[in-house]
Amino acid sequence: MTSMPSNVATRPRKSIDGWRWVGRLFLALMLFYTAVPMIWMLITSIKSGFAAMQFPPQWWPNEPTLASYYKLLDPTSSVGNDFLRFFWNSLFVSVSTTILAVIVAVPAAYAFSRFDFPGRKFLFFTVLLRNMFPAVIFLVPLFILMRLLGLVNTHGSLVLTYLTFGLPLAIWLLKGFYDNIPHQLEQAARIDGASRFQAFILIVMPLSAPGIIATAIYSFIGAWNEYIFAYTFLNKNDQLTLPIGIQRFFSENTTDFPGLMAASFMMSVPVVVLFLLLQRYFVRALTEGAVKH
Amino acid sequence: MAHVVLRNLVKTYGPHTAVNNVSLTVNDGEFVALVGPSGCGKTTTLNLVAGLIPITSGDISIGDRVVNDVDPKNRDIAMVFQNYALYPQKTVYKNLAFPLQMRRLPRDEIDRKVKEAARVLDMTHLLERKPRELSGGQQQRVALGRALVRDPAVFLMDEPLSNLDAKLRVQMRSEIKRFHQDLEATIIYVTHDQLEAVTMADKMAVMNGGFLQQYDSPAQVFNHPVNMFVASFIGSPAMSLIPLEASSANGRTVLTGEEGWSIELSPHNARKVERSTTKKVVLGARHSTIKLSTSPVPGAIPAKAYTVEPTGDITFVQALLSGAVVNISVPPTMPVAPDQPIWLEFDQERMHLFDGATEMALEAD
Repeated sequence: MTSMPSNVATRPRKSIDGWRWVGRLFLALMLFYTAVPMIWMLITSIKSGFAAMQFPPQWWPNEPTLASYYKLLDPTSSVGNDFLRFFWNSLFVSVSTTILAVIVAVPAAYAFSRFDFPGRKFLFFTVLLRNMFPAVIFLVPLFILMRLLGLVNTHGSLVLTYLTFGLPLAIWLLKGFYDNIPHQLEQAARIDGASRFQAFILIVMPLSAPGIIATAIYSFIGAWNEYIFAYTFLNKNDQLTLPIGIQRFFSENTTDFPGLMAASFMMSVPVVVLFLLLQRYFVRALTEGAVKH
Repeated sequence: MAHVVLRNLVKTYGPHTAVNNVSLTVNDGEFVALVGPSGCGKTTTLNLVAGLIPITSGDISIGDRVVNDVDPKNRDIAMVFQNYALYPQKTVYKNLAFPLQMRRLPRDEIDRKVKEAARVLDMTHLLERKPRELSGGQQQRVALGRALVRDPAVFLMDEPLSNLDAKLRVQMRSEIKRFHQDLEATIIYVTHDQLEAVTMADKMAVMNGGFLQQYDSPAQVFNHPVNMFVASFIGSPAMSLIPLEASSANGRTVLTGEEGWSIELSPHNARKVERSTTKKVVLGARHSTIKLSTSPVPGAIPAKAYTVEPTGDITFVQALLSGAVVNISVPPTMPVAPDQPIWLEFDQERMHLFDGATEMALEAD
């Protein structure tokens, strides 16, 4: 390497610059690809039902209106009543899934990382085994299982299902975190007067907070957006979650596009807010271990 | 402060024995260094004393209490780790306060003790910083502070200086020694650096392969190593160990080298050689006990300078004798060049003799 003539050394830098521009172009395209539907959703949501159907489309509505939002958020109207209930159902299922995922994944990942128990390797790989199959494969078996458990048409069936899919990755992600926390920190804490459990709660948990937050976001989003299982397991109107509920805006003769778009927009709000608040930790969590500290 | 007693301590990992039947007593206020090459079991021994790993058999007492099954937090010990193990999310103040909080001391007392420790270690201005904002030396100091703030019965230190650069290491070495003198603390200190052990410790425990080789004062270990391992491990450059053949005739005992030269032993040394189990005897000599001449001397051993290493105030000359590398120190003014013929004389009073089969030191009586 050192014997390389100096003019060669400048060439790779040039090609990196070229790649950087290609990369930027790619990112710009991706941004366009993801942002335009979002923007179109927003614009449509503030149109009147008539304006939404016009062709050529109005790029910006002549008479912007928040009527769809008022309608959706008005608990006295039947649409608003439904929407708010679906929203609440989704929130309940997602938050329950998230809390349970964290409660189970944190100690499980810690155990995989720190303790040497019989069957540890086997268990850890069975955790991954689930991820080798597409989720739809489990649709019918899980439905049968839920029927046996008497959980069909309950939110419990969804929480349980989302946990089966979310936990493996959560445990895997968190284990990586615990592997990176030196054992000596816990040993120091134990010598400083903490019990093993206190050392975990007071020293290890705060250090793995980014991982726990990432796990939580991941579980929440997974549960919030899930459609196919919710569609299969639930069929009582008052239990539907948002992704299924929104479907009701489609009807045979008229589809209330502004209403549909307004509902979609409001459905994306919790995820976006969550992400904006915690993205710092999320990125840190996913790149953790990539660089040696 | 308290004394620590290890009795027949054993730690095994499956078929591997990390600590093999180690017994030693650390007296109250004593600074004991556990020293040995990596993998010799010294850190395992320290972790056993700390209670971080369970013992396989044997006993550990701290003070008058057997602590075999006592939790680390109840052993009244403090530990300084090689990588300091400072809590990264806590400020220096909170790092120092943590052991006190765990003991549920009142807040004003914690504050007083933390500030006192910070004052002693000259880091009052660092209290609000996070560990990652500190230099290696400062982190080391915080780790020391966290141990000292609690006033424990025993301090355990696991290679606390090995992550520091050479200059800082020498500085912190004297600070830890000073700290020991001022506090009259009982300290068990693990190091692979024999120089640290020799310079700081009241007593050193030399370990190898899980066995305790020798436990004595540094001077005693240096001057009377019990076996070839200790002889070669303690002292820098290492003691030269030359394998020779012993023979006796007409009441004279002679050691002969591969090259055909021989040394006639003094009566005292001859008595030592008589106790050897075989005719193979290893002669051990430290660099300063060998006299080097650049012209022939009667009775001296002819050799050839192999390398010459000037260090400034002393020059080391290496020569090959009987297949072994021999280190000799000479004044820098002495002109020695590589490949130059030299003549060596061993000091009968200060030479060491080892049994070639058992590798144990030979004693006259």
